[in-house]
Amino acid sequence: MRKTAVTYTLSRCVKCLKCVKACPTSALTMENNRVHVSQDRCINCAKCIQACHSRGLIAQGSTLDDIDSYDYTVAMVPSALISICSTMEEAEELFYAIKQLGFDEVVDLSPLEGQLMHETRHISSEMKEGGGIASFCPVINRLIETTYPMLIDHLIPLNYASEIMAKQIRKRENGDKIGIFLCCECEAKLTLAKYPYGGSRFETDHALALVDIFPRIRQNMKQGRMPVTFSREGLQSCNPAVMLQRKEYLIADGYDKISSILNMEEFGLLDSFKLLYLYPCFNGCIGGHLLWGNSYLSKNNIDELTGHKRIPPTDLPIEELYGNVISEQKDNRSFKEKMQFFRQVNDMLEKLPGYDCSACGMQTCRIMAEEIVKGSKKISDCRVLNAVTGGHNDSKGTD
Amino acid sequence: MNTILQKKFTVERDDYANAGMVSSAIKTTLRQVGVDPKVMRRIAVASYEAEINMIIHAYGGTVYLDVTEEGMIHLIFQDTGPGIPDIEKALTPGWSTASQKARELGFGAGMGLPNIRRVSDEFDIESSPEGTSLYLTFRVEE
Repeated sequence: MRKTAVTYTLSRCVKCLKCVKACPTSALTMENNRVHVSQDRCINCAKCIQACHSRGLIAQGSTLDDIDSYDYTVAMVPSALISICSTMEEAEELFYAIKQLGFDEVVDLSPLEGQLMHETRHISSEMKEGGGIASFCPVINRLIETTYPMLIDHLIPLNYASEIMAKQIRKRENGDKIGIFLCCECEAKLTLAKYPYGGSRFETDHALALVDIFPRIRQNMKQGRMPVTFSREGLQSCNPAVMLQRKEYLIADGYDKISSILNMEEFGLLDSFKLLYLYPCFNGCIGGHLLWGNSYLSKNNIDELTGHKRIPPTDLPIEELYGNVISEQKDNRSFKEKMQFFRQVNDMLEKLPGYDCSACGMQTCRIMAEEIVKGSKKISDCRVLNAVTGGHNDSKGTD
Repeated sequence: MNTILQKKFTVERDDYANAGMVSSAIKTTLRQVGVDPKVMRRIAVASYEAEINMIIHAYGGTVYLDVTEEGMIHLIFQDTGPGIPDIEKALTPGWSTASQKARELGFGAGMGLPNIRRVSDEFDIESSPEGTSLYLTFRVEE
């Protein structure tokens, strides 16, 4: 089980329940005046972080102090980060500045992202029934895993660029105590690293939230340059407007749009599309919340950067690209048990007021009913019912 | 046969604005139960097609969802006419009598009934000028 990136800080929380209500997968609950994030349900979309006005929720990444515990360190830079540079000179300065943070090597992920894009199109063109869904985004993969399990077979089984690259680096630097850091443009990608979750199967050691290291990157800008050339396909893969458009591709961005698309695809209505390329972030990966640039400007920057000398996508053997991006949660209950639980929940739901007010700390009355049936909540925890019956008890005879 | 869940939905004639609402409701219910995703997908495809058929071709009607303890999911789509004159033809892929209005909205490719038959475990259809009834059964694999 992948741990969620969302961390809760009690001291700043004003218990407004905005985060609980914002969660698209009902992963958040308020219990004993603390926000609790369910590991099973959270898809790391960061809607709760955006909804939180008091900054009580944050996405926790690694810190640069971790560099000291390795003999050789590598920073991986995704295309989304490159897109904040308006000129090649700025991009060269950025790579130099990142290296100055203390890394032995800075790796550009764009050629690999280009190959993955190319391979995604190729695999989808050969899929027999319906369209393939690109699996580059951890939020999409988790969303399908938790909410749209009917579409799991449609996910194209390619691994994340950072994971494939980290594996290659590890192979090359065989034996050294090597630390691999991923610069992350969004909260979801913070989950693609071992730290701070421990004991997982990930190749990346640390994930750095870009906003955290930005002040130090800025200090190092204009100090020097590191020669770089990018892959055009890689850079283009992080924005829906600049990537290759074909009539058999459905490319969409923004959480609400993609969830309505997935709903339609469940009915088989989008089978005429060969490829669904879905970005939960508005404007794609360049709209990641941990980037400091404006995504509209970033889009123009990609046009500018891809106009320069560029390198072709990488040419790794295809078997290196595959990876399991889904951790299917098997429901081991028998159909009878499932139906029994469903009926008990429905019976309980009848007794609850149905306002979905979240005052009990659960997002909806249905979630509350489920918790009551499971035994972790009591019907007396419903504040609305308490207010009604409490009022009646106090004023006997009136009404 | 031990029915443990029963639901009834109404579909209105020419109600394109709400097309898909009933099949969405069925999908939501089955998701809440936790039905196997592969079976759920087949039910989703079939129920959407059947619901659209009721809106486009029929004068609306009623949809019954019936789940038994043994893991059988029955769906009945019962409309109030005008009936299918030639069921054999209607079951031929590509055959369609959809109105121009329906085609403009992207419906009426002639794959509705053939698709429904393909994805369901049991398929039965009865039709007269008074209405058409579609009986679909899906088995939940244990």
